Amino acid sequence: MNKNPIKLGKLVRRTIFYLFIVTLAVSIILPVFFLVSLSFLSTRESYSFPLPLLPSLKTEYSLTHSDRGYLLSVYDKFDKEYQTVLDTAELEKMSVYMKNQIGTPYSIPKIEERIAELENGGKDTIFFSVRKNLLLNYTTFFQITRDAVPALLRSLQIAGLTILISLSIGSMAGYAFARYVFAGRDVLKFSVLFVRMFPGVAIALHMAIILANMGFYDKPIGLALVYSVGSIALTVWITASVFMGIPESLEEAAQVFGATKWQTFLRVTFPLALPGLAAAAMYTFLGAWTETVSAILLTQFNPTFSVVVYQSLLGAVGNVNLTAAGGLVLAIPSLIFTFFIRKYIQQMWGGMTI
Amino acid sequence: MATLTMQNVTKIFGRDVIAVKDFNLEVKEKEFLVLLGPSGCGKTTAMRMVAGLEEVTTGEIFIDDREVTELPPRKRNVSMIFQNYAVWPHMTVYDNIAFALKLKKLHKDEIDRRVKETAGMAKIEMLLERYPSQLSGGQQQRVAVARAIAVNPDIFLMDEPLSNLDAKLRVSMRTELKAIHDKAGSTTVFVTHDQSEAMSMADRIVIMKDGEVIQVGSPDDVYHRSGSIFVADFIGTPPTNFMDVKIQKESNGTHLVNTHLNLLLEPEMAKHLNGYDKNHIVLGIRPENIVLVGESDAALSASCLVSEPQGSHQVVAIQLDDNIVKVVAPPNPIIAPGTDVHLIFKQETLRFFDPDTTLAIND
Ligand SMILES: Nc1ncnc2c1ncn2[C@@H]1O[C@H](COP(=O)(O)OP(=O)(O)OP(=O)(O)O)[C@@H](O)[C@H]1O
Ligand SMILES: [Mg+2]
Repeated sequence: MNKNPIKLGKLVRRTIFYLFIVTLAVSIILPVFFLVSLSFLSTRESYSFPLPLLPSLKTEYSLTHSDRGYLLSVYDKFDKEYQTVLDTAELEKMSVYMKNQIGTPYSIPKIEERIAELENGGKDTIFFSVRKNLLLNYTTFFQITRDAVPALLRSLQIAGLTILISLSIGSMAGYAFARYVFAGRDVLKFSVLFVRMFPGVAIALHMAIILANMGFYDKPIGLALVYSVGSIALTVWITASVFMGIPESLEEAAQVFGATKWQTFLRVTFPLALPGLAAAAMYTFLGAWTETVSAILLTQFNPTFSVVVYQSLLGAVGNVNLTAAGGLVLAIPSLIFTFFIRKYIQQMWGGMTI
Repeated sequence: MATLTMQNVTKIFGRDVIAVKDFNLEVKEKEFLVLLGPSGCGKTTAMRMVAGLEEVTTGEIFIDDREVTELPPRKRNVSMIFQNYAVWPHMTVYDNIAFALKLKKLHKDEIDRRVKETAGMAKIEMLLERYPSQLSGGQQQRVAVARAIAVNPDIFLMDEPLSNLDAKLRVSMRTELKAIHDKAGSTTVFVTHDQSEAMSMADRIVIMKDGEVIQVGSPDDVYHRSGSIFVADFIGTPPTNFMDVKIQKESNGTHLVNTHLNLLLEPEMAKHLNGYDKNHIVLGIRPENIVLVGESDAALSASCLVSEPQGSHQVVAIQLDDNIVKVVAPPNPIIAPGTDVHLIFKQETLRFFDPDTTLAIND
């Protein structure tokens, strides 16, 4: 009996702990799940209510005669009945509809086969099912969006340039902040953060003018420069703390054992800072890769991939399931990059962590 | 194998922090020299100036006849063991040891031979492929030692290399470091604030205080012939006992007198006071040089305050006015607090200090 209160207290604490963890996990996983699922839905599915939790793998059709030609119906799992979606005599229209709206590509000769079945079989209605092409949204996305592939490459290029610029400048400044005492050091270190206190949009217009004067408007290097302004603040702070974390005696030891200042940096400081620099590179990449607002304002004919994804939501072609597919394509490089860097950081030097 | 000379070396940090003051020192070939002093007295700074990691404010440093005062660390051919070892965490033990040899562009086979040889001396042959994070503190320390001897330095600098080890390992590493020094035969400067480490390892000890050299001498010298009250107090546990006494010349000889004590000096000892013209001195005597005797022979009697048994001996504390005198006595019988104890001093071990200059009068 005596033990019960203790056990109960423990139980409550555990329950709260797990509730907390689960809430956290769900709030992260659910939107991702939603996005992934949405990217596999057909257009018809994605505009139906309620929205299906999972994409269907095939669609049940029924075909019957009508005054105008043929009546095409689709089985609705939620209402548990066939719903007429098309009333037409044009087979091409039927084929296009089946592909674009339902996600089940079906050629005209095949439709003709089904119609022959209807005419000759003596039945009122015939039923057939067609497998869904799950990747259709992805291929469609690249087909209908204006230069998605070049935009993807451009985004990679911009992210790479941003990493290069902000890491080289940022880490030099970070090293200085970490190792040297000079007048106004702390003020300077804080003022580096000022650039992050403005929303990007607020200065984007001025940036556009400056970039145009430099001849960098609508060019990857232009966006990379704009992104670097923001991310240098981040890399300065990250690298400064990375360099501060490297004991000075490790550098001194290298000098005593025969290294010049430059050799010391290359063989001791730099390799030791690499995991931290990689982390800084990761943040910079993510920032540059997903940034959209400035990119919309600062590009015209050469958008980044995030802009392309955003635009796919607008106008005549705007379908949420296509945008979801584009969004996932946008996420994949970030995932790969993050995964490899994490793995790299973890595996260094016999599992040492700094 | 070289000599190290420091001439009038002074180091001032910023505007007014004098870390090392007019430091003069000559380290002989193959000598094991220990810099000993309380925390903050400038030992590390002095050593770092020899290594070239700290600029000299004024003065010169020579290795053999080569002036190195302005040379960068890599041109001095010294090696160093840092207090935190400073082994490079991103290199294997092998690469740590080979680092300096690679920079010297030695042939691969030669590097391999030297790495294995020094790893053998430091007893880490079987750890060569590991990273430092996979080693214990003691093993990392051995890596630092191996790395330092691999380069065949002129001068071997060690900054409290044992202070991060546990008490037992520290004592056994002392012996090993000394053995490695004897084998490699390199001139060594060893920094510590642990006096038993200094006593047990040093050929000569340099005692520092507030950036200045107070006394240089063999362990025997600094212990038995301490040159000042500071040294007599700093060296030895428990430290030297001090008493203010008055000199009284009487018909039967010279007496040292205070409220508890009236000590007739033997003529041998009294001679030391001949040139001394003040009438007060500070008398210094080490705890093991005070002997418990029967009441009739006593020069001094007082009651025991507390006794600390130490196994091989006991330390008896006695209150005399407001200072406490400690005596090292045989372990049995244990003396109970409050008991009267009777003492005599071994006269030949007495130290006389000038109360004004705090320097020793006899030497
Ligand atoms: N970089 C520095 N800037 C300013 N003062 C310093 C610097 N390095 C050391 N000092 C000062 O110089 C004096 C000597 O320091 P040092 O490190 O040489 O002492 P130490 O004898 O090695 O002490 P410990 O036994 O604690 O290691 C100290 O008062 C210290 O505060
Ligand atoms: Mg020190």
